Amino acid sequence: MYQRQPFEYMTKYTQQKNWIDGRGNFIAFAFFLGGISGGLFMAAAYFDSLLGMFIAWLLSLCMGISYMIHLGQPLQSWRMFMRPRTSWISRGFIFIMLFIGLTFITLILRKWFPDASGAITTFKVLAGIFAFAQSIYTGFAVSYVSAIKLWNSAILPILFVVCGFSGGIAILLGISLNGDQVTVIENVARITLIAFAVILIVYLWNATYSSATAKNAVARLMRGGIGIVFWIGVVVLGVIIPIAVSVGTYFAGEASSAWLLTAVVTEVIGGLSLRYVILKGGMYLPLTSGE
Amino acid sequence: MARWGMVINLHRCIGCYSCQIACRQEHFVPRGIYFNRVLIAETGSFPTIKKTIMPVQCNHCKEAACVKVCPTGATFQREDGIVIVDDKKCVGCGYCAVACPYQQRTRFENSKLEYFPGQGFTPYEELGKELFPYKHGTVLKCTFCMERVDEGLKKGLKPGVDRDATPACVITCPTVTRSFGDLDDPYSEISRLIAEKKATPLHQEFDTEPSIYYIRF
Repeated sequence: MYQRQPFEYMTKYTQQKNWIDGRGNFIAFAFFLGGISGGLFMAAAYFDSLLGMFIAWLLSLCMGISYMIHLGQPLQSWRMFMRPRTSWISRGFIFIMLFIGLTFITLILRKWFPDASGAITTFKVLAGIFAFAQSIYTGFAVSYVSAIKLWNSAILPILFVVCGFSGGIAILLGISLNGDQVTVIENVARITLIAFAVILIVYLWNATYSSATAKNAVARLMRGGIGIVFWIGVVVLGVIIPIAVSVGTYFAGEASSAWLLTAVVTEVIGGLSLRYVILKGGMYLPLTSGE
Repeated sequence: MARWGMVINLHRCIGCYSCQIACRQEHFVPRGIYFNRVLIAETGSFPTIKKTIMPVQCNHCKEAACVKVCPTGATFQREDGIVIVDDKKCVGCGYCAVACPYQQRTRFENSKLEYFPGQGFTPYEELGKELFPYKHGTVLKCTFCMERVDEGLKKGLKPGVDRDATPACVITCPTVTRSFGDLDDPYSEISRLIAEKKATPLHQEFDTEPSIYYIRF
């Protein structure tokens, strides 16, 4: 492993490591799970898929576990409720807990009290609000860091939400292949995929104009050591293959399950790769220079 | 209430690392962690090589990014401007370390790291664990030697003037590179240096208002 030399802090752009190396990988994974879980719940609640909502709930629990593994003192995690006024991590922790609780109630009502439609709708809407909050807060937590110019962008929360929703709708498509709503879900998936690709391009293009550090970070994303993950994980698996399958199925009229499942898997991998490359690509300014 | 700050005169620094070592001794800083670092870089190519020396540490910013992002309130700012971490509250999420533009925070991840690998902890390290029981998984950083400052004030001493009330890195420096004092006192030594020598902090563009100023070339 490359050992950073002390002088590099002052003369070179240095990579952030706290949220990507070692246990830091778990926060990238937690952000990915948070996004995809929120997106899946919103889609599943709209299409009234009990299985979809249940998987979203499980993914959110996994997010919580991943978060705990990342923490240095997990037993103190209850303290993270304390500072919602200023800290996005604190707000996010509250959103996750509320989402898990409200989704749990929704699932119980939907499974065992299907006649309580008023209560089901109310809890679905409430859980949906926190699903969205859980999905978008990961973007805000990252974009709030003004020290890292690549992250400090208003587009990033939108990118994370659309990526999460896109992954969520892909999973819903995967579990609804034999359902009668598959065509509608496919159409929604096509739109979100194209939106995701457009927002990703705008985000990276905007970053190259925002500052020299961000431009350097984008160049590193595309050509450096993490370029392979960016091009294969994000671009090929996350964008090109799902869009190709979507377009192909649109013109073919009917798609095979194998193709759709391939697109679902590649898109989920793309979502994870996106979180990884964004966190890994975060660079600090050298201590001795200004922008 | 005073707001403690420091001026580092880069014209005087010879890169002897004595401040870095004094800091380690004062706080029994574990191996792999730096509260105070002397960075020495050689840039350019022969024959136009430039050597730059820069001591760095937590800037105890007035508008500290780390304080704002901390989800538990473990990182907080005292009335005198010193930013500290309460390890009883720190969950080790690392958000403060990520948010610090100066990269002056480290998560204490390996409490088993010895100064002499494979030879066990030295008596010095064992003593350090008793005096400064740093908690595994929490974030560590420079404290501006708040113990020295607080004790000194109790004895009626003046930080920045009296040795016993001044940070270890300042009193150790053989070339008087560092000066410590009250930024809010216009008659203090550091206020005079900032005004006369046009000292500036690092990366003012982040609007964090650091308390450490540098007299640069």
